[in-house]
Amino acid sequence: MDGMLVVIWAVRLLFLALLYIFLARVVRSLLRDLRAAAREPGATLGRLLVIESPGGDPEQGRSFDLDAITTLGRDVNNAIVVEDPFASAEHAVLTYRGRSWYVEDLGSTNGTYVNGRVVATVSPLGFGDEVSIGQVRLRLERARLT
Amino acid sequence: MTSASSPATRIELPRILGAIRPRARWTETSLIAIVAVALVVGSVSLSLGVTGRLAPFDPRGLAIYVAALVLAHVGQVLAGRRSDEILLPVVGLLGGLSLLLMERLPQDLVTLDIGETQLGLGDVQLVWLVLAIAVATILGITVRSDSWLRRYKYTWAASGIALLLLTFVFGSDVAGQRLTLRLGPISGQPSELLKVILVVFLAGYLSENRPLLIEQDTRLGPIRLPPLPYLAPMVAMWAIALGIVVIQRDLGAALLFFAVFLALTYAATGRLSLVAIGSVLFFAGSALMASLFDHVRDRVDIWLDPFADPLGTGYQIVQSLHAFARGGLLGTGLGEGLPIVGGRLPIPEVHTDFPLAALGEELGLVGVIAILGLFFVVIERGLRIGASAADDFRAILATGLALVVGVQAFIIAAGNLKVLPLTGVTLPFISYGGSSLLVNAIVVGLLLALSDRGVEPPPPPTDVRRWRDRLRRRAAR
Repeated sequence: MDGMLVVIWAVRLLFLALLYIFLARVVRSLLRDLRAAAREPGATLGRLLVIESPGGDPEQGRSFDLDAITTLGRDVNNAIVVEDPFASAEHAVLTYRGRSWYVEDLGSTNGTYVNGRVVATVSPLGFGDEVSIGQVRLRLERARLT
Repeated sequence: MTSASSPATRIELPRILGAIRPRARWTETSLIAIVAVALVVGSVSLSLGVTGRLAPFDPRGLAIYVAALVLAHVGQVLAGRRSDEILLPVVGLLGGLSLLLMERLPQDLVTLDIGETQLGLGDVQLVWLVLAIAVATILGITVRSDSWLRRYKYTWAASGIALLLLTFVFGSDVAGQRLTLRLGPISGQPSELLKVILVVFLAGYLSENRPLLIEQDTRLGPIRLPPLPYLAPMVAMWAIALGIVVIQRDLGAALLFFAVFLALTYAATGRLSLVAIGSVLFFAGSALMASLFDHVRDRVDIWLDPFADPLGTGYQIVQSLHAFARGGLLGTGLGEGLPIVGGRLPIPEVHTDFPLAALGEELGLVGVIAILGLFFVVIERGLRIGASAADDFRAILATGLALVVGVQAFIIAAGNLKVLPLTGVTLPFISYGGSSLLVNAIVVGLLLALSDRGVEPPPPPTDVRRWRDRLRRRAAR
């Protein structure tokens, strides 16, 4: 057997093998990344981040993981209690239906606002949008992954 | 329920010229090490194939390229951002394959004279690759805010259309296509840049109008369509795509733009009806184009039966198929394909349109599958970055950037393999060409920047002052 030919084939196959070793390493990292995301307890539909809260309850910077139906207001039975003089007891409700989030005003005294615009009855809500209840500003964000 | 997670811990990021807080990126380190070893072995294999010597083919070029990759890695480590660690090595390996291929093709395909010295194809490609790595790294390190993209979406769209018009008016014809724009010594293909501008515009438009597109219906008998006014951009997009086909004769770009547009619309709204309308428009437009324009019909005819005229119009695709066939399972080995038959290239334009066929010949089915796998990894990273983005704009932007690269790779790979009619787009990161490499580097750089959790939070969507004023007025009453 020609020694040179063996060397040529060895190098050739080694190169192809290295391509696959690289791919295998990449795929391993990708799988680890995906598994970590799936294990994350906060893997919910979205979260609400408190941007501004003059009263301090809820405190600024806090984030709430959201259920498909999340109520907001001053009453202690709400999922998110907003302790603000301008908030009603049962102020608004966030719902996730089909493809999108919606915010509904529950007949509050001072109204619910999305990006500074008043919500008449129901308004769709995109990630990154801001909801204002009384003086409290909250932003809808995607659930944290990884 | 209300399980509150701790307040978002924000990492203090160093200012660009401020204190440097390095952060190890071990995944990237190990992957780049494998890339370097693979490229050295590939280079030796190439040298064995061409000259029969057991040494790297072009040690200087290889060293420069690997050094550029390592520098990019070190730069990212020093910058200390928590960005994606997989994109750079994957793209680096694709670029390395490109370098090996371009060094191996006849060097006089492209020449560039700088003073006395003349650079051949491999050297010119090396320069572009190093520039591309630099662009991607600099963007990935320095871009910390997306407001320059988000705020000016209509400005971007206008500049894109202006680029298109400029190419149409001042562009020079190359091989029957008016794609190249020359500004003094610099020439480039604006349609490459246009694809990024398109994604930026669509991300801005769709994220702003997403609620409306999802929520409202126009009823047409039993069919529920999205609100008609919001269909206008879709029709405009369709018209632009057709315009590109007619005026620029660039089928590939038109196909790419429209496919990315449909995919993004679906990703943003989840409405299959939009995709259905778009597909109907697409097929109607294609049929119309094929019946009206010869160059479109020719492409389709060649695709259906390249062997009808194997030495004329079907030459490229027939040679490409032969190259894949010669490659077989394991390939002929780097440097042992057929570079020149009877004084001409077996595949015309192999360095721009058919790099996959050349690699298929020399690396075989096994190698081609690995290359396609690398492209899938790029797409996966982009979609993943989109899925974990903080708001709609960033999510759609990352998705779109990944799709632009992925769909383009698919279109040209399918063209080489006679799965789709051949359209002249480049294979991202592998084809020869400055504009293609630099624009794809911009895409990678933006994805790297978007993947960082520490970028500044998205700006509030609209002015919140209105809400505060109204509240004050109520309080005063």
